[in-house]
Amino acid sequence: MAKERSYKAQKVIDRMGKKLNRQIVGSLVACVHCGNCTDSCHYVLANPGDPTYAPAYKADKIRSIFKRHFDWTGRLFPWWVHAKSLYTDEDLEELKDTVFGKCTNCRRCTINCPMGVDLATFNRMARGLLVSVGVMPEGVSVVSKDQWEIGNQMGVLKEDYIDTLEWLTEEMQMEDPKSPGIPIDSMEADVVYSINPREVKYDPRTISDAAIIFNAAGEKWTMPAEDWDMTNFGLFSGDDDLGGGVARRLFEKVVAIKGKKLVISECGHGYRSTRCEGPNWAKQDVSFPMESSVITMLEYIKSGKIKVDKSKNPGKFTFHDSCNNARSCGLTEEPRELLRLVCDDFQEMYPNRAENFCCTGGGGAMSMSEYTPRRLKSGKVKADQLKATGAEIVVTSCHNCVDGLTDLIKHYKLDMKVTQLVNLVANALVIEKPVEVPVEEVAAPVEVTPTEVEALVLKGYKILVADDEPDFVTFVSTVLEDNGAEVVKAYDGNQALEMARKEKPDLMTLDITMPGKSGIEVFEILRSDDELASIPVCIMTGKPELRQLIYERAVKPPEGYVDKPIDEDSIVLNIRKILELDKGKVK
Amino acid sequence: MAKFEWEDVCIDVDEDGFMEEPDQWNERVAVGLATTEGVDDLTEEHWKLVHYLRDYYAKYGIAPMIRKLCKETGFPLKKVYELFPSGPAKGACKVAGLAKPTGCV
Repeated sequence: MAKERSYKAQKVIDRMGKKLNRQIVGSLVACVHCGNCTDSCHYVLANPGDPTYAPAYKADKIRSIFKRHFDWTGRLFPWWVHAKSLYTDEDLEELKDTVFGKCTNCRRCTINCPMGVDLATFNRMARGLLVSVGVMPEGVSVVSKDQWEIGNQMGVLKEDYIDTLEWLTEEMQMEDPKSPGIPIDSMEADVVYSINPREVKYDPRTISDAAIIFNAAGEKWTMPAEDWDMTNFGLFSGDDDLGGGVARRLFEKVVAIKGKKLVISECGHGYRSTRCEGPNWAKQDVSFPMESSVITMLEYIKSGKIKVDKSKNPGKFTFHDSCNNARSCGLTEEPRELLRLVCDDFQEMYPNRAENFCCTGGGGAMSMSEYTPRRLKSGKVKADQLKATGAEIVVTSCHNCVDGLTDLIKHYKLDMKVTQLVNLVANALVIEKPVEVPVEEVAAPVEVTPTEVEALVLKGYKILVADDEPDFVTFVSTVLEDNGAEVVKAYDGNQALEMARKEKPDLMTLDITMPGKSGIEVFEILRSDDELASIPVCIMTGKPELRQLIYERAVKPPEGYVDKPIDEDSIVLNIRKILELDKGKVK
Repeated sequence: MAKFEWEDVCIDVDEDGFMEEPDQWNERVAVGLATTEGVDDLTEEHWKLVHYLRDYYAKYGIAPMIRKLCKETGFPLKKVYELFPSGPAKGACKVAGLAKPTGCV
């Protein structure tokens, strides 16, 4: 007789079928249990004797259910492929303990997996399935409810939010009576600034600092009066509906006030959720660019809009990469560049960038008190990493990391402080005597309506196409020329470099395997050459498995990466996107 | 559930050290909890802040916005961080016997 199954367990199994996509199934079937992931996980390193923390073990908890119900091998020979089903509510609780309590979805195992198994993706799927039947840590449930019902994860009411911003404005104007303070809901602002609720509820110093920087740069900016939360618990809970709902509100708000660009304050999961995952969850095309405030601040300094004095930030600094920023979004070089501009003594932490270890507070762990002892124990590797830098101040571009690291510093009794780039930039600001600009002389903002950008979308751009297959070069060139671009061509690595130097293209496409210098060598040379480093590069390759070779370089990653075969629409779409995001090149 | 023990104080706390039973709070408990947040001596100013937090929490069941805290106690933001170096959410709320604030903190 078939074993009876609880209502919730049945629902989880039924719903799993609807969640499976190519990426998830690929990861579920690809594991060869080689063990490479084991040492990459901070939980394992802190608990060497406990196999239940191994990424492959955790993955198998989910994989066994998939095998039993969706894979033919498990349906025919369940005993052979270790297929297992879920029956009772206790089974669900056990699964919850693994997917919420033993993994922060930091994806460090993923980049160390030769098969490309993305544990965090299906761990998130499993979280979502449990959440759909109400099995989740209480903290996640409370926060999700607030985000659904009140519109932000800390239940901050509109009047309190506005009142706080007005108070900050008053404080700023006490210091400088001419300060514009914080503009709320200004129409057609060039920058719409979105924040994490913790900033407005508990620690608004980051908001004031950002405001001081925007105002010093003479930015035409604003903060939305509502729908301002850029964090998204959908990422942590696996609930795509919540993810979509939260992202959609923010996107629609920017459109409603006709904002030109959305700037996201320093928050790792907020950045990833809003800029990278949001449009997919919300099933929406986003018509405006989105960027991290790190990029905005860096641009202000580089273009001379603000001036900074490093000596105002004395001390020894190190930088902690947030997993969402670095591993999932490739935001690794800009924060370092910015940090070096605002402090004198910067010491790299090892390992770093995409290989950095989690702060232990990722994946919503800060809101799940029940797992705190495990979290602190797993933080041993992070604490050792911090200690080895000899730094006094650790800088990070993520609020979760601020709290995660602060907890570890306290627990492991390290003599360190945590801060964010926005605080350092504001502190290093050199405010010159303001030049009086009569209001009438301020130029009216130039309206860029979508209708002006029609048929020849690439007109005025020079693009270098580098590939050793003549047919491919001809194809891509024709597509680009048909869209108005001027195209120059190179058929091997040496020629590609020569043309890049000679022609100074607005963008170049680059093949990886070419005679002479390979695309990887060419890419590294380009990025290390001051004159050529700013040329946006779009890798176009028939060997996507070589992706890691490009991304593990110690240089800024490519602006685009597309796999061959590629069709006409994708070429134009990718190239346009890169050119639009590459500030200063928008014509 | 964990226990917090300090001198003659013994209370139930969550895994982050926040009180599970706000009714068990008294000034002695506050002094004990403060030692875990790097505050060895509770001055009159500390008490003013702690009592405000407790009153607000008793009324609304949540922690107040930092704006309200500053407005009602008359302390500027900087002062709050001087009194409780780990900040209002983790420091002051814990000492006042509030439950752990929800969300990314």
